[in-house]
Amino acid sequence: MTGAVASIAITLLVVIVVGLAWVGPAFLSTSNITIIGSFVAVPLLVGAFSGFALLAGVVDLSIGSMVGFSGAVFASLVVAGWGPWPAGAAAVVLCLVCGTINALAIVVFGASPIAATLGMLTALAGLNRVIVGRQGAVTALIPDLFDFTSRLALSLPLVFLLALVVVALATLVVTSMRLGRHIRAVGGDEVAATRAGISVLRVRFLALLFSAMGAGIGGILYVGQLGSASNSLGTGLEFQVYAALMIGGYSILRGGVGNPAGGAMGLLVVAGVANILDVQAISPYYVNIIVGLLLLAAVLIDRLRGGDAYE
Amino acid sequence: MGSPPAGGSRTGAGGLRAVRLHGWNTTLTLLGAWLLLIAISGLHRADFLAQQTVLAVTFTMAITGVLAVGQALVAISGGILDLSQPTSLILSAYVTSVLLALGVPTVVVVVVAVALGAAWGCLNALVIVFGKLNPIIVTLATNFIGVAALFLVFQSAQAPINSALRAFGRGYFLGLPDIWWPMVFLVLVVGWLLPRTRYGRRTIAVGGNRVAAQARGVSLRRTRFGVFTAAGACAGMAGLLFAGANAAFSPTAGSDFLLPVIAAVILAGVSLAGGRGNILLLLLSVGFLSTVPTSLAFFGLTSAWQTVFQGAILILAVAIDGYREKRARRLPRPRRRRAPGPRRARSPALAVAPGRC
Amino acid sequence: MTREIGLRHRWIRGGLALVASGTLASTLACSAPAAAPAAPTTAPAAKPTTAPAATTAPTTAAAAAAKPTTAAAADAKPTTAAAPTTAAAPAPTVAAAAGAAASKLKVGMAVGGNTCCEWMKYQGDVARALAEQRGWEYVELSNNNDGPTAVKNADIFVQQGVNAVIEFNGQPSVNPVLAQKFSAAKIPVITYDIAQPGFYFVGIDNLAAGLAGGQALGQIAKDKWNCQPDLVISAEGEGAGIVNTWRTGGMRDGLKKVCPDISEDRYVSFESNGQASVGLPVARDLLAAHPEARKMLVVGLNDGGVLGAIQAAEQLGRDQDIIGWGQDGSFITGPNVDPHLAGSVFYFLEGYAVYSFDKVLDPIAAGSPPPVKDTAGDPAARVEPCPVSAAEAQDIPDTQARAQQLLTAPRGTTEFQLFCPHK
Repeated sequence: MTGAVASIAITLLVVIVVGLAWVGPAFLSTSNITIIGSFVAVPLLVGAFSGFALLAGVVDLSIGSMVGFSGAVFASLVVAGWGPWPAGAAAVVLCLVCGTINALAIVVFGASPIAATLGMLTALAGLNRVIVGRQGAVTALIPDLFDFTSRLALSLPLVFLLALVVVALATLVVTSMRLGRHIRAVGGDEVAATRAGISVLRVRFLALLFSAMGAGIGGILYVGQLGSASNSLGTGLEFQVYAALMIGGYSILRGGVGNPAGGAMGLLVVAGVANILDVQAISPYYVNIIVGLLLLAAVLIDRLRGGDAYE
Repeated sequence: MGSPPAGGSRTGAGGLRAVRLHGWNTTLTLLGAWLLLIAISGLHRADFLAQQTVLAVTFTMAITGVLAVGQALVAISGGILDLSQPTSLILSAYVTSVLLALGVPTVVVVVVAVALGAAWGCLNALVIVFGKLNPIIVTLATNFIGVAALFLVFQSAQAPINSALRAFGRGYFLGLPDIWWPMVFLVLVVGWLLPRTRYGRRTIAVGGNRVAAQARGVSLRRTRFGVFTAAGACAGMAGLLFAGANAAFSPTAGSDFLLPVIAAVILAGVSLAGGRGNILLLLLSVGFLSTVPTSLAFFGLTSAWQTVFQGAILILAVAIDGYREKRARRLPRPRRRRAPGPRRARSPALAVAPGRC
Repeated sequence: MTREIGLRHRWIRGGLALVASGTLASTLACSAPAAAPAAPTTAPAAKPTTAPAATTAPTTAAAAAAKPTTAAAADAKPTTAAAPTTAAAPAPTVAAAAGAAASKLKVGMAVGGNTCCEWMKYQGDVARALAEQRGWEYVELSNNNDGPTAVKNADIFVQQGVNAVIEFNGQPSVNPVLAQKFSAAKIPVITYDIAQPGFYFVGIDNLAAGLAGGQALGQIAKDKWNCQPDLVISAEGEGAGIVNTWRTGGMRDGLKKVCPDISEDRYVSFESNGQASVGLPVARDLLAAHPEARKMLVVGLNDGGVLGAIQAAEQLGRDQDIIGWGQDGSFITGPNVDPHLAGSVFYFLEGYAVYSFDKVLDPIAAGSPPPVKDTAGDPAARVEPCPVSAAEAQDIPDTQARAQQLLTAPRGTTEFQLFCPHK
């Protein structure tokens, strides 16, 4: 596992070097990192939580739509007169309900995670549109929340730093705590995990709930940052996040591999590349091309390092 | 070392028994659900049972069905999913539009479109086979690259309105859409041939248990190339039909098909773990899934709701499917040894089979 | 085994580093000097020359003083409402001085990045060309039709120290946040078609464009069917928010002006997302659910949405009496115009930059920023909608040709002047 983290760390270093060389010392200025950080804060958070599901061997493809759903619910409730905290709690609770449905289908009924969460993705995308309605977006500029999401601490966005703290905590859990070991065991070899007395069912259930919670919080933060919830919020987020997590060492096909720190670095690599291209005003489509190539490179390196070879 | 092969194991007498039962079960369930939907809609509004509805449904079935054949082939062969179909679809559609505008004869354009799709599939296969990388991840990556590249080439395209292809996209044969018939033909041919030809059986075997297949002398490499090229050809054909059926399209138009196609494949009983699935059932699953939005329109619900329903149906279907599979695995099997084998999921507490995605 | 992996491991790391440094070297060798490396200036640097120029000539000062604006550009001005006398006199000198003393602006443009329409790309191209004509710096980013990206782009523009920004934001729900960022950085912003308090509004009055199209279609319905269609289909694009309400709703209102007696239950809508391929299956289902309708009118957010409904009718064999009128003119030119698309309303969107540069950016560069007019009813620059029938549109060249002709025309010529058959 340290091998994967080392690879992605080197890739991140390379991106930084390229950035410094091509863009200039401004690439690492606090203002530039603020730009990157604001943009990548929510994906980092969502990725940190969903990484647990990946580790446990279940991929939750519904996180993108869930983020949008959470944002739509939150914004709509606030507009309807709820206070931000109750509205936020309601949004997270509803996401947990969706996460429970996912977990029931996958863990209890034995459905394929890809298929079940794809179904949830579709359903939530539709619900998002229904909730947001004809206007296409719900505007909800909540002063306190907006201040929070735009606040700087140490000249960097507070939400970005908080996301990094969450990543650090997640890394701690995964590498040093028993829960993390259990999750990795379940994802790596569930037969052995069962024999060791770990309840695979419970761990996977929890992991999917975790993933849903992350998406719920992410949606609320987006509403804070953007001052609104559009009916297309979060669309495609799952592919971006998982591509980046895989670049960072996770696998959507087998559990037990991956490390939140590596995943976060994967997201930073993609965000850094995007920033370099943005600043040079190169078309954003090149970012996607680079992400695709990085993903191929990452899985190739993982395979060379002894990961599963697909014959 | 390492986890069990991604393809999952389906051999063994108990497994086969489960497959056969499962096959009939799926047919009946799908047919039942479809008829129920038609009945409910017909009761709500009698004019649901009319020619217009049939046309609407069959038009929607056409392109999804062709794509579903390709996707099902990939899934059955153990490739899980081909996430790069959107690129293949639009690539073929775009080249079709350009060539037709240049006056190239339609026959040539048809061949080029299918060949282009096959070429894209072959490209994917190259990366998969020589990189030894999992197809779902490879195709995710190539789709990222492909759609972005397409955007660098064009933003909007149209096939010439007076071309034979566009006329084909609007016309009828025996009262049903022109574009529907090639889809049916494809499903019937591939569905019939798959378990009855050597290549088809090899594909299924590789998907079911590639180690055993390899031991029997099946070339994994050739099978993979064959599957992805064939799947790509399907997507190319779909692109052709797509260009004919649409007034205009953009590079992202392909992604609208990804979820319905995957849903159709799963509902048809094709297992994402590989080795199992009856392509003929795609007619039922695509038909059912294409009727849902039309029904909802008759109920006066907006298209947002149809997405909700499609998602809910998929979750329900795979939950039921997973449950049935779990119960089937618990059926008593003839045992030769007392000790459980190394990678066999015997414990009923386990919810997901090892290696199952 | 582990040692082998460890060794391979090191080799891989080295290989990656090698590849990376190779890439680095080659990028350094052929890095495009065109995009100047980001000036590491934070917001305060490189401001528009409002301060010094203010002493020489107030702007169209009366209006400026009267209108309380949130945009910082006007704030910086001394709101000397008077001095109409000084306005006349120094104006020529300012104009002359403008040639010499007018600063070179650094203009940032955020193109929409929507996938619906070709003209989005050309909007950026034309703006770039106009900036180059003036010898200005130009930075283009794409909003990618995504809210977070639009917000990020705003941050980047601020970081790059641009002097002015042109925004086409397909996710207008984030405009308030953009407004906060730009006003904090005192950067004037031009917005295309979607109003935001504090942003210079350049564009059409979407409602007026909708009304014009609806009325044109209504006239056809009156002539052909005595104002009695069976169905009026609206191709909505909910994602466009208020623009959809104005355009599509406006078309319905325009239709009602000419044909007020169409009963409400004949008005049906479907979601097309502004794209023909997205709307097609939805429209098919809608038409199937109204199997008795024969004479049909189609209005919508844009040509693409309307085409989806028309194509659906063609597929269902019900296109004998379907007539559509679009918006934005995307599919009414060229050899592939559908015979059922009776007309559209051109905005000549790709040519908006002419208005922006002429009416807003040039004055800013000359040191006299115009008053911030931020509504469609009272815009900084009004783009006239140009309704055209399909027959008239045959003489209008396609988007790319139009953009090219625009750039060779004398400075200040608009596409409306060049191409609209009714002037």
